[in-house]
Amino acid sequence: MGREKEKEKPSEKALNLLRSRLADPNFIFKPLSDSPDSNYSKLKFIISTSVTEACNNSILLLGPRGSGKVAVLELVLSDLLQQYPDVISVIRLNGLLHSDDNCALKEIARQLCMEHQLLFSKVASFDDNSQFMIAMLRECGLAHKTIIFVLDEFDFFAQGKQRLLYSLLDAMQSVNSQSVVIGVSCRLDVDQLLEKRVRSRFSHRKLLFLSPSKEDTERFMEHILSLPVDSSIPQNYTAEFNGRLKKIISDERFKELITTYLSFNFTIGHLVRFQAVSYMDLDVGFLSLENFKTALSSNQRQSKLECIREYKSIHDSSQTSDNYAANVCLRAFEHLLQRQLISFIDNKGHNQSVEFRPVKLLISSAELHQGLKSSHQCPPVTMLRAARTHLENPSAFWLLTPQHLYSVMH
Amino acid sequence: MVVLLQGKPVLLSRKDSGHSYSSVKRCERPSDFVNYLRQALEGVISNLKENSGKSNSKMSGCPDGTMVYLVFDNLERVRDWDKCSTILPFLFNLYDILKMPEVGLIFISNTSPDTYYLNVGYVEPVPLYFPNYTEDDLRHIFMVNQANRKLYAAFLDVVLRPFSRVTRRVDELAAALSSLFEKYCEPLSDKQVVPNEEMKRKLFSQIRPHIASALNETFHVQSQPLLRAETNKETKKTNSSRVSGYLEDSDKIDFHMSTSAKYLLISAFLASRNPATLDASLFDSTGVSDSRKRKRKASEKSMEQKEMAEQELLMKGPGTFPLERLLAIFQCITSLAEDSLDEEESHEPTTEGGSRGLMSDVLLQLSSLCNANFIIKGGSCPLEGSTRYRTAVSEDIALKVIFSTSVL
Repeated sequence: MGREKEKEKPSEKALNLLRSRLADPNFIFKPLSDSPDSNYSKLKFIISTSVTEACNNSILLLGPRGSGKVAVLELVLSDLLQQYPDVISVIRLNGLLHSDDNCALKEIARQLCMEHQLLFSKVASFDDNSQFMIAMLRECGLAHKTIIFVLDEFDFFAQGKQRLLYSLLDAMQSVNSQSVVIGVSCRLDVDQLLEKRVRSRFSHRKLLFLSPSKEDTERFMEHILSLPVDSSIPQNYTAEFNGRLKKIISDERFKELITTYLSFNFTIGHLVRFQAVSYMDLDVGFLSLENFKTALSSNQRQSKLECIREYKSIHDSSQTSDNYAANVCLRAFEHLLQRQLISFIDNKGHNQSVEFRPVKLLISSAELHQGLKSSHQCPPVTMLRAARTHLENPSAFWLLTPQHLYSVMH
Repeated sequence: MVVLLQGKPVLLSRKDSGHSYSSVKRCERPSDFVNYLRQALEGVISNLKENSGKSNSKMSGCPDGTMVYLVFDNLERVRDWDKCSTILPFLFNLYDILKMPEVGLIFISNTSPDTYYLNVGYVEPVPLYFPNYTEDDLRHIFMVNQANRKLYAAFLDVVLRPFSRVTRRVDELAAALSSLFEKYCEPLSDKQVVPNEEMKRKLFSQIRPHIASALNETFHVQSQPLLRAETNKETKKTNSSRVSGYLEDSDKIDFHMSTSAKYLLISAFLASRNPATLDASLFDSTGVSDSRKRKRKASEKSMEQKEMAEQELLMKGPGTFPLERLLAIFQCITSLAEDSLDEEESHEPTTEGGSRGLMSDVLLQLSSLCNANFIIKGGSCPLEGSTRYRTAVSEDIALKVIFSTSVL
């Protein structure tokens, strides 16, 4: 193992370092959190004041996916856990899993038991669990310990009757407790979804996580991709790597690339998944602009148009006109269904055989035109063309069925 | 480690180092599933780390290359499940929920990512696109493991192009090409021979007529291949008729049905395809109603309209009919059949309950035809309240069934 490490080229070491950085959310969000008016500092302030002053609090973290809400929250929590050991316990719930009240209370009870080394009983009922939770809140309040509830995917908890939210917030108000409820959601209007009685108990603190500005993005990319000077990688390599990186970043074409990418996916999380680093050519040993270009093109969505182009490439140069039998057409039709270029109109229509169920075209006629630009003779393509001619016929009043397509094709 | 997802109740099964499933846990809720999964994954990862000797305490917590990958194949099937709106975002967010850097998730699907867009949203997995095979790729694939490469290459030269216009999927092509290759090699006595140009041309001319028919049968599932081989030997004389398109073998239906079931099927087909108003004229045995119709000279326009109306009716598909109508038509047909049978076998004494023998278990036959998807049970008419049925067979199958009865 040791011998292999010595033979490792500096470019491989650099690649490993960059990759491990990109996968570590702590590293990514720390530089963005340094300024005093960043979300990190605000959040830390709120939670630490409620710990020190023994009061209740609630806050919402809102922002699109990948903008670092949970990452920043974890940074804050890890700092606070170091600062105040034994005073804070954290309960984590996720809306995708625990939106049902029974589930949620069971999970809360389970995590509380784990934190305080109590025995958890799986068969406890809903009432038992809720009484347990209230009792724990009271006890922790008396002992001056803070419980922090992190509710991820908060909009799922706001569905239905919101029993959990109400009981939690009500317990916070009535019982002598110290707790903080932090809701994390990507819906920016999630507080409008709350019921009146829940909203009245909720403090309207919101922290918005928005995408960084252009200059911040460039600074961020440079920070992420520059190699540190004090690592095990040889100095001259590091210097050259960083120099080349600076040149790339200040290049106009690079700025265009990044703007194009960010127009689809505009959060830091998406930026980090931009895979230019994995395209780095190990022989050359340095990142180049071409790597970024390849990453951009491979990231463009493989839309349904690609499927049509696939069918296009099946065609021959010889213009033979094949007459396909019914079952071949039917199978081609099923392929179209699979690729979701067409779909059945009603899913419950199981009292008709497949050939007579009406379907609708899932791509617009402009997309269809674009995909079918040359003349081909393969069943799915011919079917799509038949669909197009049918759609253009204004007097056709019934919906498209496979039987109709088959007759049009012949 | 193997994870099985079956709708909402989710099964988590654990595989130990002996590659057998040691324990199966069943859970109903995603929260339980995640807890069990986390426990199981932590166990597996610590095992892996111990086995590879990397269990230094100072390295724990940092990712060091041990990974567990969860592979989800055929993801597009999840879209058809009832709970797909909760399960798909759950799966795609599983990485964030678990928060374990040693776990990787791989999703395999044959539809593009934009068919998975849902209201909830999730961080999209990194897409990796596998394009369709080109003809050259297909040629490489099929040449692997061939005993006689030159012969197979000659075969592929002839056959691959038309077939790859129909489908590019290797599983479908392999099935179609294997049977065709056997036919191609039929005249050769020595299967290891390397063909020269003349032999190739001869083989090509011998196989060419079969290519068109094989193309149309690309997706045809062969039933009873043994019987078919035997009948092939017998009907070698009719090879010429096979080439001209009139296929004798496939005129026969290749499943067995009782006579009453066949009549029931035919009557269902007639009931579906003809409007109820025609029943009287079709089945009226007295022939009285004909004189009531005034014979008008049909104008061209009305003929055209009539044709278009018929065409439209054909396009719309088979209609529904109530049970009583089916039974009425069935009775008409079987009484006709009984008569003709009686005429043929008049020397035998007719059995007492002859016509009743066919009618006795007609409802049982009907339910078995419904189960076999020859007749589909539709919704009930709200006014009458009786269930309606609809035929699900195409015209050629109905014709085959008719030919196979001894009436015609």
